[in-house]
Amino acid sequence: MDKLTILLPAVPLLSAVIIALLAGRQRRRVARVSIGFSSLTLLLAATALALYLHDPQPTQVWLGAKWGSLYLDPLSCIMALAVASISLVVHVYSARYMAEESGYARFYLLLDLMAAAILLMVTAGDLITLLVAWHLIGVLLYFLLGHDTRRAAAQRYAFWTFFTYRLGDLPLILAAVLLARAYGTLSLPLLFERIAAAPGTHTAFGLPLMTTVGLLIALAGFARSAQFPLHTWLPYSMEGPTPVSALMHAGIVNAGGFIMNRFAPVFVHAGDVLHLVFAVGLVTAILGSVLMLTQNDIKKALGYSTMGQMGFMFVECGVGAFSLAIYHLIAHGLFKGTLFLSAGGVIGDARKHDGVPHDDVYTFVVERRPIASRLPWLAAAIITVVVPVTVLGLSHWLVGGNFVGQQGAVILLFFGWVTGAQLLFATYRLRAESPWRTMAMIILSLVVVVAGYTVIAHAFDLFLYPDRTLSEHIFAAAGIPLVTFEILVGILTVAIVAGWLAVYYTNAKGGKEDVRPSALRLAFYSLISREFYVADVYAWLTRTVLGLSQRLNVWSRWV
Amino acid sequence: MKLTLVALFLPLFPLSAAQNLMLARLRAPAARAALLLAWPQLGVALLHALQPQIPAFVVTWALLSAAFYALRLLTVRDLGLWAGFLASSALALTWVLVARGADITELHLFVFWFSLPAALQALLTGPLARRLGAAYAGLFTGVVERQPRMAVALTAVVLSAVATPPFPGFFALLHLLRGLAGAAALGVLGVWLIWGWAATRILQGFVAGNGREIATPDLAQSSMLMYTAALAVFAAAGLLFTGGGL
Repeated sequence: MDKLTILLPAVPLLSAVIIALLAGRQRRRVARVSIGFSSLTLLLAATALALYLHDPQPTQVWLGAKWGSLYLDPLSCIMALAVASISLVVHVYSARYMAEESGYARFYLLLDLMAAAILLMVTAGDLITLLVAWHLIGVLLYFLLGHDTRRAAAQRYAFWTFFTYRLGDLPLILAAVLLARAYGTLSLPLLFERIAAAPGTHTAFGLPLMTTVGLLIALAGFARSAQFPLHTWLPYSMEGPTPVSALMHAGIVNAGGFIMNRFAPVFVHAGDVLHLVFAVGLVTAILGSVLMLTQNDIKKALGYSTMGQMGFMFVECGVGAFSLAIYHLIAHGLFKGTLFLSAGGVIGDARKHDGVPHDDVYTFVVERRPIASRLPWLAAAIITVVVPVTVLGLSHWLVGGNFVGQQGAVILLFFGWVTGAQLLFATYRLRAESPWRTMAMIILSLVVVVAGYTVIAHAFDLFLYPDRTLSEHIFAAAGIPLVTFEILVGILTVAIVAGWLAVYYTNAKGGKEDVRPSALRLAFYSLISREFYVADVYAWLTRTVLGLSQRLNVWSRWV
Repeated sequence: MKLTLVALFLPLFPLSAAQNLMLARLRAPAARAALLLAWPQLGVALLHALQPQIPAFVVTWALLSAAFYALRLLTVRDLGLWAGFLASSALALTWVLVARGADITELHLFVFWFSLPAALQALLTGPLARRLGAAYAGLFTGVVERQPRMAVALTAVVLSAVATPPFPGFFALLHLLRGLAGAAALGVLGVWLIWGWAATRILQGFVAGNGREIATPDLAQSSMLMYTAALAVFAAAGLLFTGGGL
């Protein structure tokens, strides 16, 4: 097991060294070597997980006397498998996709180094190894996104990403320094033991140490996972090669969820920080989704969709469902990677077919098919409100029993209910030849998805957090006073249901109300189309700092 | 007086101007490299010999000096000048260790971790100027297209200079941060952030962009080997001597 742990980051590193030696000579061989080593890495990751399942004992391997250790526990095993899988898919896809590009060997070399750095991050067993890997990922991503050195846009947005990642590196460094100083160890398992034994004995920046460290770790996660207002780099990182976009959206951007889980024992004593994480995640999820809906470029829309998903991931952490965040990031990684890699095909299809639906007269007269129709709006509205809550409630009751008293579970069910209802609303809007049959099929799919999701998420929680006390303490830390909680849930429920009813009613009338936009609507639209002016503010700040730098150089006559 | 003399060699603004003026006057890259390596080591030796009293304000002054040069670094395009400014910014941080009472070996090593990458940059200005006419970012871009070995060497040297792992500067800064509290720690992190920004600006000015139409020879393989070996030994020495920093 020890050797296997070392081999996980070492194999892609070896691949990078071999590619560096082959560079410029055997172009085709570069891809074959890299894919071969990637396959081996995946095999190693799968073996590590299988061995862990066989003998569930965490292992820590030390390569150096003071730091340089690797740690295999449920979190690192599952993350290593996810990273190795996505990395292999991206390697295989790149073999042909990048064939016409210059710097083919450089690309594969960077890809292998990136795989090694991510695997080092997920298996890091001490603070310094974690910092080294965390830092290197940002640097390597900068070079991967800026792979096309001739395109100014690629360079510009690679820099945006790099700078935001650096902003995220620094809080993590400070957190590591504070923890090492307070608890006198670099080893993560030992550190967590000491925190559990004496969580409240230190302070930093005038706050309890755990609150400060929790806040710093959350900030590091926010920058890595594009949380508002540190999100601007994510949608624009599409300027990089498509395989890099896939790797980033499927893997690298999820680092925020990973770091929250890695430091879960800290958050047991930092409940206030979890509330902040919830709020930031919620704002990001809403803004990401709103911005996604207004994009006309498929890759940029996918970028904002990732931002929204990352927001949900932090919402899950904020309510204490840490293991669910890991399940979410893996599931999101797989589907978003697929979407990115197939985006080119979708664009190709769109060029061939206009995609404009035929009108009813055409369908009836030319195609001789019955006219599509919708369900009655009131029936659809009742189904939308009642069905998801029933399905979600029953499935959670089956695996969790007493979930009604747990705030985290209720919030997640609430989000599940909203998502399910949106799905049913979308089904209502689809005109179909047999609307009741379509709705029944969708409800059946919803049942299968929700039941599957609930069972797998439950199994995931048991695997990642076998210590049930820790899991319960995290949920408890994320809790708020019951009365406040119930009032908030009540207000949100009323607002959402009222909104749905209004939308159904408007749709039922055929949307023929006065559509002259008000000044408020126009202002909102301009706000969205300028992406809330966040990037403009950053650009202004950048210009100001550079201007100051220039003036200082002129004043001091360049010495 | 003793403090002023030492601050001339372990650069604190405005005394740091002496080092940068000398760098500007020296034309030979090897002489610049030698100055960047020797100057701060002399400072540490003087500090040890003179044993000046270190007033409390020196740490603040050192941090402001480091921030001042880091900020100025953002708009410097000349690689030689860039190396000098980065050295001025990084070496000013030595005073934080001095105020903490670090021993002489620790100080010698700390200044070495930051002056060697600056010296290597100064050496690179020679081949760059010979091939492109001047080691000036943005003047001739796209070095990676025409001179890939040069691009790799330049990138690695710049990354090592701005304390990127696994180079020793990274661990040296971790060690520095371990002894700092509150605002001072935030100050060092801020300076580190600006170094990273400046590094991307100088690299984009050389490496990215459209390549020059006129064919120019790449860095010789022997030179590339020399830079690779120097940086590999440097990184290994850092891993060995810094002990991770924290």
